[in-house]
Amino acid sequence: MAKTFHLTIARVGENLFEGQAKSVTVPGGEGVLTILAEHEAFVTPLKPGTIRIDPAEGEPITLQIEDKGLVEVSNNQATVLL
Amino acid sequence: MALKDIKAKIGATKRMNTVTRAMEAVSAVKMRKTQASALSGRSYARAAIAILTRIAGTEAVKKHPLAKEREVKKIALVVMTSDKGLAGGLNSGVLKQASLAAKDFTKEQVLVYAYGRKGEDFFTNRGYTIVKSMENKQDDVPLSSMEELSNELSAGFLAGDFDKVVVAYTNFKSTFEQIPTVRQLLPLSLPALAEVVSGIVPAKGKWSNEQSLEAPASYEVEPSADEVLGVLIPRLTAIALYHMLLESKASEHSARMVAMKNASDKSKEVTRDLTRKYNKIRQAAITREVSEIVSGREALAA
Repeated sequence: MAKTFHLTIARVGENLFEGQAKSVTVPGGEGVLTILAEHEAFVTPLKPGTIRIDPAEGEPITLQIEDKGLVEVSNNQATVLL
Repeated sequence: MALKDIKAKIGATKRMNTVTRAMEAVSAVKMRKTQASALSGRSYARAAIAILTRIAGTEAVKKHPLAKEREVKKIALVVMTSDKGLAGGLNSGVLKQASLAAKDFTKEQVLVYAYGRKGEDFFTNRGYTIVKSMENKQDDVPLSSMEELSNELSAGFLAGDFDKVVVAYTNFKSTFEQIPTVRQLLPLSLPALAEVVSGIVPAKGKWSNEQSLEAPASYEVEPSADEVLGVLIPRLTAIALYHMLLESKASEHSARMVAMKNASDKSKEVTRDLTRKYNKIRQAAITREVSEIVSGREALAA
């Protein structure tokens, strides 16, 4: 089984996603990037675009973001703030 | 007291009871809504602050213009109160804390941003300068309105209109416990942020497990710390303000519900006492009348 990490995607007032995920693809300021488990700790701003989540269980989810955001990874936890 | 007066008073108390009961019910509904949004907003605020705290190890934060400490000559005081009263000690608590925060400064050194009419009235009456006053009517304030206020405060801070921004608001603990709190918003400082984080972790329940704030050994910031902070810091001040507003609203409705519940209970008690008094006097009058009739009859018979 693929390794998973804890992913939180939150907008003010609502949590869009919270749980274990195998991978997440986000539109980073420097280009689209995919985060897998055990990714090194880092922070980068996000551009408007599409987020693709591959959760530990179930079908992949795609989310559209219209606003800028931020992604942060540390201790095998990824947080996307929109 | 005459019978008629007591009866009128009972009527008045009962009418008051209807009003307070209705307000209690309305506040209960609003309370549930605002509590939910305050609590769900916490995870976002906490995550944002946690990220900043972790980047803060780098020098870039201290160099950021919004984080620069300088000698405090003037302060901006943001006061978050309700528009209406009838919420127990809620507003007086916030105003007391706000005056404490302002007491080291002369009236000319304090610029008041009043969110909510109670705060505006309080500081106007005491001769402070109100820079901006906003009504605190709606419950679902969009984040954008807080972003406006936050931009205004940041701009004022950067322009040197004031050297410190503090916010007085009510921190929501539970339906029965709200704590008036004063927090420093600008300059951004780590101890102040840490305080906010610990302040918004509720004692128990869904959101109570705390996230680690420790910075990992190596931390990659892409493309540069300045760029990340450029996104994060303005957003964070807006979120902090928004969050404080949500907390204030949850507190307001909780406090009002509890106050109205007390009022309803009290008015029920008063109605009961008055009814008892009414019955006693009525009975006394009847007894007196009967005894008068009887004694009159006896006098006639004799």
